[in-house]
Amino acid sequence: MNTSENRFIVWVDDLDDNAISIAGSKVARLGELRKMGIKVPDGFVVTTDAFYMFMKSNDLEKQISQKVQLITDENDLDQVEIISEKIRHLIEVSEIPNDLCDAIKNSYQELSFKCSDINLPTAVRSSATGEDSADSSFAGQFDTYLGVTGRQRLIESVRKCWASLFTSRALSYRLKNNLSHENSPMAVGILQLVHARVSGVAFSIHPVTGSKDRMVIEGNWGWGEAVVQGVVTPDHIEVGKTDMRLLEHQIADKQIVSAFDYAEGMVIERKMPKLFREAPILTEEEITTICKTVRDIEDKYNYPVDVEWVVDKNRREGDPITIVQTRPETVHSNEENESASNKWDPVAYATKYAFKG
Amino acid sequence: MANIIPVDEFITDEWYPGFKPEYGHSAWCTEPINTFKKEDEKRFWFLDFHWPKGLSPMGITFLEDGYSWSTQAAAQGLPLPPGKGIVQRLGGTHVYASEVPVTSEWEMGFRGARIGKNLPPFLQNFPDIWKDRVWELDMGLEYFENYDSSGKSLQELGQYLIDARTFHKRAWEIHFEMMYPLLANYLGFYGVCGELNIDPGEISKFLQGYDTKILECDRGLWKLTDKAKNTGITDIFESNDAENLKAALDGDSRASAWMSDFNTFLENYGYRTEGISDINLAPWIEDPTSPLGTIKTFLMKEESHDFEAASKASVEEREAAIEAARSKLTTEEQEKFDGALGSCQHANFAWWNDEHNYYIDLRATIPMRMACLALGDALDFDQNDDTLYLFWPEMMEVMNGSKTVSEFTHLIKDRRDYYDHWEAKRPTMPKVLGFIPEEVADPIMIEIFGMHHHFFNAMKAEGQDVQTLTGVAASKGTVTGKARVLHNAGELHKIKPGEILVCEATSPNWTPAFGKIAACVCDGGGTLTHASIISREYRIPCVVGVGLATTVINTGDEIEVDGTKGVVTVFKNQ
Repeated sequence: MNTSENRFIVWVDDLDDNAISIAGSKVARLGELRKMGIKVPDGFVVTTDAFYMFMKSNDLEKQISQKVQLITDENDLDQVEIISEKIRHLIEVSEIPNDLCDAIKNSYQELSFKCSDINLPTAVRSSATGEDSADSSFAGQFDTYLGVTGRQRLIESVRKCWASLFTSRALSYRLKNNLSHENSPMAVGILQLVHARVSGVAFSIHPVTGSKDRMVIEGNWGWGEAVVQGVVTPDHIEVGKTDMRLLEHQIADKQIVSAFDYAEGMVIERKMPKLFREAPILTEEEITTICKTVRDIEDKYNYPVDVEWVVDKNRREGDPITIVQTRPETVHSNEENESASNKWDPVAYATKYAFKG
Repeated sequence: MANIIPVDEFITDEWYPGFKPEYGHSAWCTEPINTFKKEDEKRFWFLDFHWPKGLSPMGITFLEDGYSWSTQAAAQGLPLPPGKGIVQRLGGTHVYASEVPVTSEWEMGFRGARIGKNLPPFLQNFPDIWKDRVWELDMGLEYFENYDSSGKSLQELGQYLIDARTFHKRAWEIHFEMMYPLLANYLGFYGVCGELNIDPGEISKFLQGYDTKILECDRGLWKLTDKAKNTGITDIFESNDAENLKAALDGDSRASAWMSDFNTFLENYGYRTEGISDINLAPWIEDPTSPLGTIKTFLMKEESHDFEAASKASVEEREAAIEAARSKLTTEEQEKFDGALGSCQHANFAWWNDEHNYYIDLRATIPMRMACLALGDALDFDQNDDTLYLFWPEMMEVMNGSKTVSEFTHLIKDRRDYYDHWEAKRPTMPKVLGFIPEEVADPIMIEIFGMHHHFFNAMKAEGQDVQTLTGVAASKGTVTGKARVLHNAGELHKIKPGEILVCEATSPNWTPAFGKIAACVCDGGGTLTHASIISREYRIPCVVGVGLATTVINTGDEIEVDGTKGVVTVFKNQ
């Protein structure tokens, strides 16, 4: 890894295979995908070293642990929430040391230049080291800001991402599982915002039944936030993994869209325009491209994954789609599917359904 | 309703006036039938819908040989892991049934291992096995149906009756020997389809379109209908009720050629009763009112039924349904679906469930009836069917001369009154008795009789002001209309077009009514019972296994039947 110049910032291109400890799992995996040849957004990560430096220079660790010690019952969510708010406020008003601040601002300028956009909108994504690894309940609970433009906003977003390490949910999870707060640092990815025509999530196995030969795509017009947060009923698509045959295509009445607000310079939620509501978001070619990409990722990692994908506004048929996030599927990937065998077994099924065995 | 429904009103040692069975008067497998004792209250009993009129003393022989013995022998032979078959209690002349559960964990595992060995070869060889059983059945039927009782000695007629009982018992052994494993396989397939997210309403289509003996008989009735049209005797059918048709046709020379064809038809298909294994029912060959009534109904329809087209459409619908289901499956899922479907088409429960009625349910009891009537004549009973009011051991005593016919004269009158008394009580008989469980284990009780959670929930809710009943969604669609509650097939003529039929259950002779009704609701039954199959054929909504439909709903009530969700909503009449 090239950290000799500045260990507070690492570019996605430069991440190596053991990057999780400095880049967090979310950004580290983007680096891995890029090495696989999968299209991911350009960008850099504000490393865990930078986080530690920020904490140290503001003497935050001590102050935080004093506050955490005030929690007498980690199951008392009201109590945890009060402490959580205090800690997050503390982080949000703490100064980022000048050299770190400059490094972030300079890297943002560099990224903007690389992308030929003087005011480049970015996605600022929390990338915790513990996130998505062992326990799925941790996944997706840290902050992400889409469409962040300008250096000052960028700095604020980074600080908010750091603060989100201390949401009441994260706090009580670590308390319950006896995880130390100091050993769970937070990196922050700053990535070029892909201008999305449609986005969504995809699973290399069926997320509900666990069926390993069935892939699922869910998506919406615009950015993926409305899908990820569950505020919209997305289009639902199922595809056979072996032959990429379309098995199911449900077009939903999509009432909310995450759209880029140029005046505000950020992605916001608003009502879906009428003509878009019941229109299918993906063509068959796009569906196949997404599924092949997800299957490639699963093959490389050798375990089931879910991803967030984006179809770029300028994408043409044959172009790759962009993956903005991937992680191991944690619900079903470890279970030995009892009906994993494709063979019909009359005795097993009679026992199960006729004799309630 | 409480969780235990008392059996007290049915506790007695007498099966009928003047008859208390002696221990072992009839062979039994794991548990004999009996009248109710107080301790029976600890078990769950449901009013069996097959015999809405009740059973006569000779009819109870069926419970001993055909129902208790044969379900128990089959459940022991296969074996069925959770149950040892079905056993009955008499509530007056009516039949309550219960399962004989296996309680030992070890035995259940032992039986499970054994069926694991026995089921696959049975399924694989089913067509040959069934062919062999049909050969056996045909051999018996040919002997008994062609038996000429004229001029036979009492002893010969007695032997004829004994042999007819032997055959009857064997026929019912075959019945359950086939039914348990075929049903188990069907339920496995149903389960696979559920796992593969296939619409349950489609499953029966995958197995349809295979010709059966029952269809062959229907085809014969349609041919006779066309012939009646061509012969120009439609007017005789129009101007006579079904009951008078035989006399009218016999008395009209224009119909003599047609009647000769009809009699040939009866020779082939007339050994058939309108209900299942009830010795008190006259077969068509003895009383042709039913087939003549059916032909009358067919004649009133505008168009003739094109059997070739219907069977082609049925096959096409099957293949289209299979293709539509497969197209939504992954290649791996298709492999499993194809295996399960192939197995179920090869050992096709849906097909067999129709086919076997021709050989067993509607037919195998008739030789015993013929023998009893012949003995009634030969022994100079007042009426030849007086013999149906004797129990088997009594019949044997009369035949071996240890008792005389006249000793039974009064008893037979009492027993006929007893039979009528209980027949009249049928509509108010409790649907269930004893302890109401959460579930039962015997697959026949669950799937064919409809003893699933809807049924038990309905039983537990009785007495409350129930407005919504749930059951098995048997045929899709939603309809609102006036209810017509019927307690037996004799009331079928009361149905007005567009009414919703509400009954305990239906049997093949109810079929013509489905052309008139808007929907069907049954107390008992599962996806494969008669009402479900016929409702799908006629494309009307149907909910079965509702439990208390005939208790909660009154004729004239406005009700809504949602056959897609399996819900019946009652909007009261007032």
